[in-house]
Amino acid sequence: MDGLEQKFLQFSWKLHPDNFVNTDEREREISLQRSSRLNDAYRVLRDPVARVEYLLELEGMRKEGEHKQQAPPELLEEVFELNESLDELREAKSAGANLDTLAAKLRAAEKNFGEKLHEVDAEMKTAAQQWDAALDANASESDREAILQRLNELLNRRSYIRNLVAGVEKELQGATC
Amino acid sequence: MGRIVGIDLGTTNSLVAYVDAQTGQPRCITGPYGSTLCPSIVSLDPDGSVIVGEAARRRLLTQPERTIYSVKRLMGRGPADVQNELQLFPFRIDPQSKNVIRVMLGDKMFTPPEISAFILRELRNWAESYLEEPVDRAVITVPAYFNDAQRQATKDAGRIAGLEVLRLVNEPTAAALAYGLHEKQRGHVAVYDLGGGTFDISILKLISTSEGDIYQVLSTNGDTHLGGDDIDNLLQTFVHERIRETEDLDFSPHGELAQDLRKSLIAAKHELSEKESITLRFALPGGKTFVHNFSRADFEALIQNVVARTMGPVKQALADAHLAPAAIEEVVLVGGTTRTPLIRRTVQEFFGRKLHTELNPDEVVALGAAVQANILERGVSDMLLLDVTPLSLGIETYGGAVSKIIPRNSTIPASAQEQYTTGVDNQTGIDIHVLQGERELAKDCRSLARFTLKVPPAPAGLPRIEVGFLIDANGILQVAAKDMRTGEQHSIEVQPSYGINDTEIERMLEESIEYAEQDFAERQLIEARTESEAILSATTKALANPQSAEIPAAERSNIEAAVATLKQSVAGTNYKLIRKRIDELNHATEHLAELLMNSAVTTALAGRNLAEV
Repeated sequence: MDGLEQKFLQFSWKLHPDNFVNTDEREREISLQRSSRLNDAYRVLRDPVARVEYLLELEGMRKEGEHKQQAPPELLEEVFELNESLDELREAKSAGANLDTLAAKLRAAEKNFGEKLHEVDAEMKTAAQQWDAALDANASESDREAILQRLNELLNRRSYIRNLVAGVEKELQGATC
Repeated sequence: MGRIVGIDLGTTNSLVAYVDAQTGQPRCITGPYGSTLCPSIVSLDPDGSVIVGEAARRRLLTQPERTIYSVKRLMGRGPADVQNELQLFPFRIDPQSKNVIRVMLGDKMFTPPEISAFILRELRNWAESYLEEPVDRAVITVPAYFNDAQRQATKDAGRIAGLEVLRLVNEPTAAALAYGLHEKQRGHVAVYDLGGGTFDISILKLISTSEGDIYQVLSTNGDTHLGGDDIDNLLQTFVHERIRETEDLDFSPHGELAQDLRKSLIAAKHELSEKESITLRFALPGGKTFVHNFSRADFEALIQNVVARTMGPVKQALADAHLAPAAIEEVVLVGGTTRTPLIRRTVQEFFGRKLHTELNPDEVVALGAAVQANILERGVSDMLLLDVTPLSLGIETYGGAVSKIIPRNSTIPASAQEQYTTGVDNQTGIDIHVLQGERELAKDCRSLARFTLKVPPAPAGLPRIEVGFLIDANGILQVAAKDMRTGEQHSIEVQPSYGINDTEIERMLEESIEYAEQDFAERQLIEARTESEAILSATTKALANPQSAEIPAAERSNIEAAVATLKQSVAGTNYKLIRKRIDELNHATEHLAELLMNSAVTTALAGRNLAEV
């Protein structure tokens, strides 16, 4: 059991509404508010992506609804190709043509971007560890700023790739049924 | 305050359980027919009284239009949702029903929570008679995959039955609680719960900590319209078709014939769990008999689809818990339908584990509910349940899309806050639509509530209102709003899309009292008087029996004295005193009872008091 889970369970013993069934309404209400906040916090902190999002929000790096959606430069070529294949698939679908070759091509692309997603996750994990280390080492503000920038970039790249994969999945589902 | 009990309000059967103070173990309470199962069947007598359970089951055949079963299928649902149910279930729904369905029993109409409340009252009576104490609070179990409206309807049923519902507990979680207590097992546990009308799968982690044991639900999934009923329906359709091929018979679901056949088919289904093949014989009108040889293989081919439908949710629950099947250390089976050999085989093969079936699959949920009731009654405990919400909570955004604000499998209580502002100057309201479900479009999700947030007139974009959505420990939604500029709290009247409002519940509570209820003491008095009548008449008969001449004169006068004091107490209203006098008379007549039992006149009877001889 990791430290986060242990803390979560410890607080749960104290705050859970089960402990307050026989108390007055005010205490029951407070227990409900606090235990829901505890659960919300655990939900965010144990998910590596949500955790980074929360950190960036906390540090003022990311505001709600502000998501960069341009393609990361190093992916431009592949994204261009993918979009072309997606267009072809849509056309082929409306023309009632055979979809097998196109679908296979898209599946390969989906797999490729899926792997890229794993890479981003790994990079994000490393950057997050760097952040923890920087905090522990009392690193300078500019060093910390640089890590946050990096995390922000990774998060943007991640959400971009994820949307791509989801889009391909959706088109492929339509192609098979 | 009275006792807290645990209640399993099932589709087919309902049970009530409590924790024995001496042993600390949960126990199910036995009803007047000698079983812990109370059939979830309600019948309205022409004289206006309500009959529940085994007695109502008998009326399914004689008065099908006044009797209803499987009402749980209708809880929290709108008329449009239940069209499929109407094909095979004898539900007669009021065509005027709007958001909440009204079911006709005879010429009277009831909502599903009112009908469920009759079942809850019956169980409450069982508990009060057994515990000899008033019972006014309960923990009630619901399928883990029940949505907000279905949970709210269950809670309403409790209120209508005069019970304070301290907690709704998910059925598989309750089963895990009873199981964990029994087996002392720790680790990852899967609970596969296939009942009469609902299917749930829950993945739990059982953790021992220094403070005590934690039962943490990691994920849950299911289908609130999948169960033994569906197997019965398949069998029924199959046999209807066979009979129709040869006979010209009306099998409308309301007919006596259909109910009679259904009863035989359920018995046949049970038999096929034990035997490899059976011969079904069913008497048809006009003296003919329908005969069909059913092998278990035929049966399994017929129900294969129902069993397969459970595996999708099982895989999804595992994926959501980030676990492979092999990571599950124990698999617990719950619900009567899991006695079916095909289901046992399928589940065992999937997990590659031996299944846990030590605990009675019919009782285990009620036992777990009693354990949770006991935890809540004591306030502090060495056991903690952490459950999850089965469905994502979302709000409708532009273009009918849904923005998820609390994902499924979040530990409850859980909350989310959303900020709102106005789009035009002096806009006075913002419409909010809350939904539950996994789909991307609002029209494909379950509508929970719509409401308008009131905003004081101001230039567009200036008002800042934070709406807090909170799912409580029962899995039920609460909404509150706060004006971020003034800090003022707004209360929000949320009209549930498929619910009953508070005024209606109050009215139903009053009405339901008229139907059945006398208060606890009054009912105890009536029961004690009835019982004393039985023993007094048995004693008179026994003393008139020539065999009784063998008892000594002193004993006879003892009996006569006990009869006199019992008669005296019956004239009063103290039920405890009457019970005491009954016991005394039983004691005085022990020897006489033995004597009569031993005599050639009586057959082998196990009981020891005169009323039973």
